[in-house]
Order: sequence, then C-alpha cells, then structure tokens
Amino acid sequence: KNMASKVSLVLRPVKSIVVRFCPFEPNVESTRKFLQSIYHKKIQATNTNCEVTADVRHDGSEPVVDVKFADGDRLIMKGAHLTTGEMLTALASRCNAKDLKEEQKSKRKNP
Amino acid sequence: MAALGGGGTRWRRAWLPALQLLRRGSKAVTRHWKAMHLQRQKLLALTEFLPPRPPVPPRCRPRHATEEPRQEDGYARVLRRQAEECLRGSRMVAVCQFNSLPDEDVATLRHFLRKHNIHLKFILNEIIRPVLAQSELRSLLPLFVCRNVLLVSPEARAREMLRVLKGVPQVVLLGACIDGTILSRQGVENFARLPSLEVSQGQTVAALSLLSSQTSSLLQRGPAHLTALLDEHIRRLRDTGGATEPPPGRSSGNH
Repeated sequence: KNMASKVSLVLRPVKSIVVRFCPFEPNVESTRKFLQSIYHKKIQATNTNCEVTADVRHDGSEPVVDVKFADGDRLIMKGAHLTTGEMLTALASRCNAKDLKEEQKSKRKNP
Repeated sequence: MAALGGGGTRWRRAWLPALQLLRRGSKAVTRHWKAMHLQRQKLLALTEFLPPRPPVPPRCRPRHATEEPRQEDGYARVLRRQAEECLRGSRMVAVCQFNSLPDEDVATLRHFLRKHNIHLKFILNEIIRPVLAQSELRSLLPLFVCRNVLLVSPEARAREMLRVLKGVPQVVLLGACIDGTILSRQGVENFARLPSLEVSQGQTVAALSLLSSQTSSLLQRGPAHLTALLDEHIRRLRDTGGATEPPPGRSSGNH
C-alpha cells in the first residue's frame, strides 16, 4: 500500500487487468502485493471502468499479470522473479506513455 | 651581618624581586597574550579536562549468531490464544486475500456473512504462522502472505459464502479447510455444488439396496423363465387339444 501511494499510476488507458496465480506456490508474494496495490483507492479512482480480476488456480502455474490496454496493446508480466515495485513502475511507465500520446493526439485535433 | 650590612644598599637593590620584576615584566592582567609561568603551565597540563569517551553503540558491536529468545508480548499471546480457539472451534476456515475496501463495505460484508453464521476475522501473519505450524493446517502456511482475512464458521456453508464473496471482488478466496480437509478454490466451488449430507446419504443407501434387490430378482430369473416357458407350453397343448401328452411337471412331481 505504501508503494501504491508513491507510484503515480494512471489507469486511464487500461481496459482490464487479470492477475493469475496459485496461492500455494512460494513465489507469488510479489504478485499478491501487486494485486493489493492495484486495489488501492487512489489507483482505482483514476479509472473506474478498469476491470481487475483475480484468477486463483491450483495447478502449480506461474503467477502472471495480464494487462489489456484500450488501444489493443497487451502487457504480460510474469511475476515469479519480479518485485512488486518493478511491476508497478513498468505498468506506470507504459500508462504514462500512452496517456501522453493520447494528449498529443487530442491537442493536434483541437488546437 | 657585616656582609649584609656592607653590601646593604647594593644587595637590597638587587634583591628586591618585586621591584625588579615590576621593572622588567608586565602586570598580571595584560591586553596581549602573556606567557604562563612554568609551574602554572605544568599544573594546568596535569589537571587538563579529558572528556569521557562515548561508549561504542550496540549496533557496532559484534552480534551473536543466536539471538536470545525475545520476550513474548502479552498482547501477542492473547491474540495467539484467540486464534487457536477460533481454529479449534470452527468447522470451516476460509482464507481470503483482503485488498483495500472502504469501511462501510467491510461492515456490509460482515453483516451478510453474519447472517449465515460466518465470522470475519482480521489476523496478523506473524501471529497466525506459529499457530498454524503447530496445528494440522500446515499446508495453509504459504497462503499467509500479504493482508489476509479469515472466514470462520461452525457450519460448512460454502454456497452462501461463495455467493456473498462473488459480490465483493476485492476479497479473493485462496483456500479453505472444511471438516479437516484442505481445499483449494476449485475444491470449495465443487464442495458448494455437492448436495447436502442427508440427500447424499439417501442416495448411497438407495444405491446399495438397489444391488441387493437386483440380486434377489437375478436369482429368481431362471426358475421364473422356466415356469413361464412351461405355462406357455401347457397353453399351446391345450389349444391344439393334445390331452395325451401329460405335462412334465406332474411326472417330475411323481419322481
């Protein structure tokens, strides 16, 4: 929850986030922390249309975060060997880049 | 005395240290820096103030490999006892990951779960881990990472619990222990789909009695078939009007 308040994550360009993990595996801590920080009210407030789904399995599979953006892009992060901070910063950088692109596009359209 | 008297004026002139010193030296308190007398210098050097050395901070000291057992906090002990009682007295224990939820939603969730006699308990990982390690629920240990919440109930009402949790996406069901059996999320869903105990008992009894009823009918099938065939034969003979041939049943009876 501390990381969520530090990282400025704007979820506007994100359509849906699916977090898939198997809770009985030992390598899911960072993915679970990522899920917890995604549900922080500050981040949820940036985009209420974003659907966050948690898929809990028991097949020993790797923890995966699947992010689908509004313009069709997909970001797949395998959380087995990533830290929460890395995942959050990766997502934040891509979200900000897309946001900037959209702002530039809208500026060009309406000068 | 004579010597003293003879060189009196000369001796006095040379032997008045106060006058001599005054002529040569300055006063005690001067505006310039005056050199200290040697005796005074020595005394001051001897009695110089040596400040005490500050002690080495404990973090710089070499740490022992084995730490002494920390004194257990009374509050932690109370929480641990509560957790043990909770686990012992409940038939169903479900572990869910709790992502942040506004307070009124937590209260609503608690209310709906309480309707089905399910209690919502917030627990700390560091307290529940040793409790679980000593009990039989050791397999649930890897679940206790990040913020978790326990749903305990003396009855095993999985269907209602799943229904309530479906409306709250922020609480993610990870696993449960129902009647001493550890189940994953799919296991809980399958368990919820099962019929109740009485219905399943009736089904088992019906299946078992079906087999035994089938046995009796199986045993009777041969003679029943034979009797039917014989009856058919008699009827045919009667129809054709053959009274000469006696039915084989009567001859077997004679034997």
